[in-house]
Amino acid sequence: MEALHIEASEDTPKIYFEPEVEIYLLEGKSLPENAIDFYGPVFDWAKKFFESSDVPDSVVINFKFDYFNTASSKQIAKLLRIIEDSPNNEKVTIKWYYDEEDTDMLKAGNRYNKLMNIHFEFVMNKE
Amino acid sequence: MSHGLLNKEKLGFIYKLFKAMQKNNLNYIYRGVFTANITDNILALAESNLVHKEDPRALKRKVYNVMVEGLQNITKHQADIEVDVENNYGVFVLKKEHFKYFITTGNLIENDDIESLTKQINQVNSLDKVELKAYHREILLHGKISNKGGAGLGLIDMARKSGNKLLYAFEKVDEKFSYFYLHTEIPSKGAERSIINPNNSKTLNYISALHKMLDEENVLIIFNSYFNQESLMNLLSIIEKQMLNNVQQKKRIYNTMVEMFQNIIQHGDDYKETEEGKAGLFYISENNDEYLLNTGNYILNSKIERLSKKLNYVNNMDYKELDEFYDNRLLDFEIDSSKEAGLGIIDIRLKTDSKLGFSFLNIDDKYSFYTLRAKISKK
Repeated sequence: MEALHIEASEDTPKIYFEPEVEIYLLEGKSLPENAIDFYGPVFDWAKKFFESSDVPDSVVINFKFDYFNTASSKQIAKLLRIIEDSPNNEKVTIKWYYDEEDTDMLKAGNRYNKLMNIHFEFVMNKE
Repeated sequence: MSHGLLNKEKLGFIYKLFKAMQKNNLNYIYRGVFTANITDNILALAESNLVHKEDPRALKRKVYNVMVEGLQNITKHQADIEVDVENNYGVFVLKKEHFKYFITTGNLIENDDIESLTKQINQVNSLDKVELKAYHREILLHGKISNKGGAGLGLIDMARKSGNKLLYAFEKVDEKFSYFYLHTEIPSKGAERSIINPNNSKTLNYISALHKMLDEENVLIIFNSYFNQESLMNLLSIIEKQMLNNVQQKKRIYNTMVEMFQNIIQHGDDYKETEEGKAGLFYISENNDEYLLNTGNYILNSKIERLSKKLNYVNNMDYKELDEFYDNRLLDFEIDSSKEAGLGIIDIRLKTDSKLGFSFLNIDDKYSFYTLRAKISKK
């Protein structure tokens, strides 16, 4: 399975999906003008990967967002739904990172946790 | 108590600000403490966004240089004044109108300095280009005149770089302090070359009216131009550098700004849609308890009914209802286009935990002016 690398920009996050070293990461800010365009390639990759037979026993996806807008929050829900609907959903853990004082980011993670049938872990960022 | 509708006066203020902007015009106003960080960001915003792309480089440099002098002038005086004066806020205004750039600064000075400042400015204004250059040299070599550490040089530089006269005004605050306003203009491509008449009271009126308006509304930032992703990102960088001590508050302002701005980018209507984006107004003001984020933009009359319904609907929900509504919308993948996620207003309501103010002012049979206000508590 091929990797997916997207560099971070001023208003889009870094995407680093690298099955070879088993690192799966979304990091930074997400407030693009067109969230659907940005996340399209991420969905394509995720569908292919999570429906393939070579998904390892455990996949940890790290969500390290500083901030995302509502347009992105919907695309994140779509990504999680793709994972939830895949035959490999039980192998997946979402690691949701948040700053101690950023209760909105923690709440956003709790919301996805409540709505999705996927295993979540919450990690408070260290100073 | 009624909420939802903004009162007529407030609406008038917002629209008046907006109307000041016509084709090719812009307004950028910052009022507050001027730190090095904030100054840098104002310059960056001007460089990347406010100074129009079609203007020649030499003009951009000119505007930039005059801005630097003006901003330094504010920070210098700000540092001089140690007394805790309630309104020790500086003001910086960059405006483009009818192919001309207007730069105005305002800051507190001691009344004792009025006389010497007046002398200096009159002296600068009395000189032509060649004489200014010689005067500049003389001061560099012999260094006198100013007892305020180089303020004299700054004034000469502003006059030289703008190629124009300096307009000034003092407005008494109390026995000890006055506001000092300094104004100059730089003509851009297509403008008649015009020299300011230092006795022109019209411009002075504009300055004091503006000051009054800013003080009454306690305005911190005004951005009045085309709304696009680039201007949003530039304004956000200024907010990020603001000295708000509460991280959560800063995040909420940031978050609300993004949703309000992108709402206009997606849904605003304009008489003429330009490549640069949709014309709009954004400003932040504050009172003791909260920050107020305000937007104003054109909207088609045909959209008003539906939008009002939606805003009232969201305003009337309590936290639990909003939370459930958000869940439903988040997973409603039928409502999912680049134009609409359907979450922006619900999100603002949830995160600010206060009702949204809104109003529509009819412009003609096709358009209205739509204003939206969100409150962010300081608690």
